[in-house]
Amino acid sequence: MTESSDKITLENLLNVRGLTMDYASVDGRVRVLENVSLRMQKGEIVGIVGESGSGKTTLGLSIIGLLDKPPAEIINGSIIFEGNDLLKLDPIELPHYRGTGIGMVFQEALAALNPVYQTEAQLRESLEVLARAQKLSLTTEAEAKMMVDILKDLRLDNPEWVLKKYPHELSGGMRQRVSIAMAIVEKPRLLILDEVTTGLDVYVQNRILNILKDLNRRTGTTMMLITHDLMVASQICDRLYVMYAGRVMEEGKTDAILSNPKHPYTQKLFAAIPQGFVDSPPLPAPIGEPPDLRKLPTGCKFHPRCPFVMQKCKDIEPPVFNEDGRNVVCWLAEKT
Amino acid sequence: MNIVEVDNLTVTFRVRGGSLLLFERGSGMMNVVNDVSFRIREGETFGLAGETGSGKSVIAWALVGLFKPRRGSVKILGKEIDFRKKADLTYLRENVGIVFQDPVGSLNPRLRVKEIVKESLVASKNFDKRDYDSRIEEVIDLVGLRKSCLVAFPRELSGGEKQRVSLARALVVPKKMLVLDEPTSSLDVSVQAQVLNTLRELKSKLHLSYFFITHDINVIKYMSDSLGILYYGKLMEVGRTYDVVTNPKHPFTVRLMSNVPGIKRVELQQEEGLSERGSSPTGCVYSKVCPKAFEKCVNSPPMFNLGSDQYAACFLHENAAIPSPDAKARSEA
Repeated sequence: MTESSDKITLENLLNVRGLTMDYASVDGRVRVLENVSLRMQKGEIVGIVGESGSGKTTLGLSIIGLLDKPPAEIINGSIIFEGNDLLKLDPIELPHYRGTGIGMVFQEALAALNPVYQTEAQLRESLEVLARAQKLSLTTEAEAKMMVDILKDLRLDNPEWVLKKYPHELSGGMRQRVSIAMAIVEKPRLLILDEVTTGLDVYVQNRILNILKDLNRRTGTTMMLITHDLMVASQICDRLYVMYAGRVMEEGKTDAILSNPKHPYTQKLFAAIPQGFVDSPPLPAPIGEPPDLRKLPTGCKFHPRCPFVMQKCKDIEPPVFNEDGRNVVCWLAEKT
Repeated sequence: MNIVEVDNLTVTFRVRGGSLLLFERGSGMMNVVNDVSFRIREGETFGLAGETGSGKSVIAWALVGLFKPRRGSVKILGKEIDFRKKADLTYLRENVGIVFQDPVGSLNPRLRVKEIVKESLVASKNFDKRDYDSRIEEVIDLVGLRKSCLVAFPRELSGGEKQRVSLARALVVPKKMLVLDEPTSSLDVSVQAQVLNTLRELKSKLHLSYFFITHDINVIKYMSDSLGILYYGKLMEVGRTYDVVTNPKHPFTVRLMSNVPGIKRVELQQEEGLSERGSSPTGCVYSKVCPKAFEKCVNSPPMFNLGSDQYAACFLHENAAIPSPDAKARSEA
């Protein structure tokens, strides 16, 4: 898998270009990703934000190659990881990338962990993957030490105790940390984190974000944080991609997006976060529910919910406009 | 007038040490809600915030009679509820409705929306069968659902719509108060905003009072008139929302408020020991992790009245406390 390592430019670890994908279901085809382009540099933490059904998880799963085909069908585009197009790769090669190349932590730790194995057995499985990839032979003692160390790194106070527990015996925060441990023990070059803090309370959530940020600083692990919560993304991400209906609507540095969101959808997402006290006016929520991918409108897919809608928005889907190093897919950003 | 008066509410669970074992190891009783007292004024929202596992939902469930308290009294509209009497429970459920956290688990997947809402009407017995349909349509409109949803199964609805169905089921028989147990925590921010707006509209339109639970400080600040902060089954601080948020007294509340994520980027704080079980059996439950703990904290502190309706269960504020008959009664209890 390293025959092309000389081609790796240090900057671009991942480059997704014009990824377009369908799900072929019994009700017909649904376009779940449309022309998604994304690049990640080494050591970056990139956030993918958007409502449910915006294609965030699908994007994550397609990068690590875990989508079943069918129903998933790639129409166009490329996913270039360390110089290799993962979509053109022989399926036999893919497992070499998973785990040690690209790791993923899933949303529901309880579902992601095997309920009949203790933490120890699950972590050992990951260590075996690492040993195979790096052609190491780990002794039982070395494995045990690595397991304790990784759990300590994740600030679990009593690693020996956690190793002997089954998933259902751990609290939500502990469980999530165990599943993060399973991913990072393989030392992936890219770590995809799918809604890892959803369902946890704010305090545990902050704790996990701290740990991730700390890990990124210490080891330089590149991370993709998928979340529906803008506040979570804004805490640790260097750059953000805002997705809607399978499309990237806005992209830019976190600070720039936070201080000055350009796309009306991003603005709406911010406005929907309650800020005032009980006597403050009602929240300016976007009208209607998130879009139904089977019945997408013409033109800009956000136009039915957009307060600044123009005739042009209904007719033609806007291209990407680049403005001060930020990409915005909105006619309002044209020639300004 | 107070719609709810809760005094010294204590709910006890039997806990077992070694799970999955047939032997009972370390079996014992645990007070998951311990000596909790608060008031909810008519037409107001009382918010309850705290970590996962602090006992927020247990209080909510106890308020509608789904858990029997071991000690303490619950008064609804001035009437004390005896949880062993069926008539009292009926009275309770006629006045207080509940919306649960999980929109998937709380709706019967085999019933259509109309049947789900109808169940409440049938149970109440105060409605004529001929009025069922018109009442259901009225309430569906009230909570902001389309009429076409009536024939849908829960799985065909979005998360926001499911929570609105729960709301309709709670309100189809008119209530004085609603218990809202994390009603928006499973929703996207934009949908959450719509549901919160609906809840605020309904509150003024139907003169409802809310008991609102969430771990999201931004939401609770936006929704509630008064606020209680719970930590391991004990109330740490109670007061008007504005006071508690802008001028927190208890060290736990101070920490909580400094952790609120906003739109602005904040540097994450080091969080140590906050979620670990740190309670000592006799002392203040927060004393083991409290940065300001001192000798006196080994005795569980009473609630101190700090004026302007703000109470804190912390010895740091003992000197600032205003002696009042209420606080005296609390400390004696």
